[in-house]
Amino acid sequence: MSQDSDTSKSKRRHGRAVIAGLFVVSVGLLTTAGVYAALSGVATGTESVTSGTLNLTLSADVGAGFSNFVPKMAPGDTDNVYVNLNNTGTLATAAGMTLWVAGSPVNALTNGTAAGEGLTVTATQCSVAWTLATGVCSGTTTSILATAQISTFNTAGTAVNLLNIPSLAATVGSVAHVQVSLGLVGTETSTNGVAPSPTIQGLSTTLTYTFTEQQRLGVATNQ
Amino acid sequence: MRTRHFRVACRTAGATAVLLLAVLAAPPRAQAVSVVKAKAAKTESVTSGKWLATVSPTTLTFTTNTAQTSTVANTGTIALTAISYKVTISNPVTGTPTFTLFVCPVAWSGGTCSGGAGTQIGTTYAKSSTITVSSAVVPAIGGNVYLQATSVGVTSSVTMTLGTSISSATQLRAAIRTNQ
Repeated sequence: MSQDSDTSKSKRRHGRAVIAGLFVVSVGLLTTAGVYAALSGVATGTESVTSGTLNLTLSADVGAGFSNFVPKMAPGDTDNVYVNLNNTGTLATAAGMTLWVAGSPVNALTNGTAAGEGLTVTATQCSVAWTLATGVCSGTTTSILATAQISTFNTAGTAVNLLNIPSLAATVGSVAHVQVSLGLVGTETSTNGVAPSPTIQGLSTTLTYTFTEQQRLGVATNQ
Repeated sequence: MRTRHFRVACRTAGATAVLLLAVLAAPPRAQAVSVVKAKAAKTESVTSGKWLATVSPTTLTFTTNTAQTSTVANTGTIALTAISYKVTISNPVTGTPTFTLFVCPVAWSGGTCSGGAGTQIGTTYAKSSTITVSSAVVPAIGGNVYLQATSVGVTSSVTMTLGTSISSATQLRAAIRTNQ
């Protein structure tokens, strides 16, 4: 009987403790709300804002632009295409542009399984439009990508940084005339009608060139 | 014992209250700054060629000094400027035969290449030897050239085994540079 009484008293005390805690919480909430309510005032003003756009277009400069290289490619061959990179948005870009080239299907032309072999890309900017017939720039050339094997930048995560980007579509409305040279490197000896393994011979792939630009740094204005 | 329970309960309730107040009073956290990127992409298709050549038959067996022929085919898709041949002569039981090898762009007829002797590949091949030689008379893509082997001094069965090899470094057409 005495034990029951003690247990009952203990439960009542715990109950009181919980109630006390809840009371404190409630007081806190009410106080906070009260403070906010006390500090709330209404004052209105208007400000107009327009967000900029960041657009990059890729189109043919002279010739067909990116298309199909019809002949069967052999080591040493080069296929030059001429494209325009144009910043058509209203925002300038940051000094930095990347390129990655994905092959589909993925094979030894693009994934490096044949060591030291595969497709390569070189990119050069011309200050004026390229001359298609000769592949010559009558203005000033600027290398934006030294010859690199596609296997080294065939994913978004391994996109390569293009060089000299401040002059490449970095400002609103600017156009970059770019020669993109696709090459094939490899030294293979076929024996008795059989190619070595792995090989770069007799493979097809569709390359997707993805250029990515980034907006200029944010501007803090005091007015 | 009961007092201790009461104190613990009070401390718990107090801590909860303080925590709630802190959460409510804290200013909203600043949003992460986002950066806008723009992409432009185009595609280009490409197919690599093959540089392959076969010879058939690969083994010529001589029991007399009768000329024998074999056909070389360009089974690749790249034009060639030269083909290397690996020529292996067996060691006959008797005799010291020697061999010569000629190539003709058309099939041999009556032992002649369009009335001529054809183009010799290498010099002479002795018994029990292996040598690699090269010829600039090559088949077009999908085409053939024709070999004829002749012998001198055959007195017992001896074989000439032929193999081909093509190196991309030196035996393919000149590189093509395309502007499109």
